[in-house]
Amino acid sequence: MTRGYHDIGGKDAGPIPIVELPWLHWEKQVEAIRSLLGDGTRRMMSLDELRRGFESFGEDKYKKLSFYRRRLEAMIDILIEKDVFTRDELDAAMAEARARWAPPAACRS
Amino acid sequence: MSDHDHAHDHDHDHGHGHDAHEPLVVEDDAGNIEGQILVDALQTLLVERGLVFPGEVRREIERLESPGAHLGARLVARAWVDDDYRRRLLADGKSAAAELGVGVGEAQLIVVENDATTHNLVCCTLCSCYPRSILGQPPAWYISKAYRSRAAREPRAVLEEFGLKVPDEARVLVHDSNADMRYLVLPQRPAGSEAMSEDQLAGLVTRDCMIGVSVVGPVS
Amino acid sequence: MGAAGRLPVMRPRFDAGDRVSVLELGKPGHVRTPFYVRRREGVVLHRCGSYLNPEELSVGKVCGPVVPLYRVGFAMTDLWDDYRGSPADMLCLELYDHWLAPAAAAPLDGEPARDDEAFEHGGRP
Repeated sequence: MTRGYHDIGGKDAGPIPIVELPWLHWEKQVEAIRSLLGDGTRRMMSLDELRRGFESFGEDKYKKLSFYRRRLEAMIDILIEKDVFTRDELDAAMAEARARWAPPAACRS
Repeated sequence: MSDHDHAHDHDHDHGHGHDAHEPLVVEDDAGNIEGQILVDALQTLLVERGLVFPGEVRREIERLESPGAHLGARLVARAWVDDDYRRRLLADGKSAAAELGVGVGEAQLIVVENDATTHNLVCCTLCSCYPRSILGQPPAWYISKAYRSRAAREPRAVLEEFGLKVPDEARVLVHDSNADMRYLVLPQRPAGSEAMSEDQLAGLVTRDCMIGVSVVGPVS
Repeated sequence: MGAAGRLPVMRPRFDAGDRVSVLELGKPGHVRTPFYVRRREGVVLHRCGSYLNPEELSVGKVCGPVVPLYRVGFAMTDLWDDYRGSPADMLCLELYDHWLAPAAAAPLDGEPARDDEAFEHGGRP
């Protein structure tokens, strides 16, 4: 018997959280990049490869990540698997991106 | 993110909660910034390697943003006023959508019709498949663990949470969008709408009616 | 896909109205057959065309064969012992050919019958 942790049809769960949330810019960026990587000219990542990514990165991670974060992390895992870049290169790029978000130094005057 | 806070009853202050029963995981401010940093880093690497261009990402976002429930509503309204079109829509959703200039990006669109004795409900238990090219992005509750888990097992209870009581004598059909097809519910045309134009009718059709968690109410 | 653009195409074994059993193939990895329909019986509603197998797409294999896909309906009361609703309530989903066997022709945990004659060579229909 094999049942993935994502295969939840029929499981017990609480009330439906009937809410509408805004679609945030970074979430749109995730979907746009995914769509471009899977398009007919690039064919670098199919939707099923992306799904394999988040269906195999561990139940704890799957459950604690939001929908778009899950897809983003899976996309990165697959691209690293395909040697498009390394984890170290991603870490370096993240450090640069984070620096752009860092709060300005406190004003002492 | 006060909008996010009432997404669930738990009052922990961090989107990455460790409650295994979280019905819907949402990011807090810190999580959203982290997501932005991570996707920016990814985009930087892909641009450096010449795999995507920044302008392409911007255009792709615009392309993804443009579809919405208004497109599905046009198909429904046309089906209500034109019985031949209705039959074509039920037989081959993708081709019928194309007749109205609505492009369906998915492999096929299966249109399922509500009537006096049948109520249809669409879900995706394995991930969050949804007819994005005609309804836009799925609502947060559609991708929640609670909806994904329960719609396939207790659809009537789920519908009651949305305020819809399906009569005992009517049958409920649940469509799990688990593979290549995507689904659209064709709601019943409401009583009192006989004199309305096609455009006016389209205005009555909500996203939720086309997912099947609601019906189009009578027009007074 | 090969320069000749030839993909092996599996011929559909089932058609609308056929009663089918869903196999438990015990496959690890990415599959699109939810656990809750495995080892259950349903009725083929209609054919949906043929598609590359998502199990292969998930590991980057795109050379086929393309597999017939069917929409299959299940009585809710056959899926859930404690189902509350009408006996006419149904669940409908899509299943790829290799997950199905003719109903009552179990074993439901074995390899599906793989008749070489079920393959023909040519483009996607």
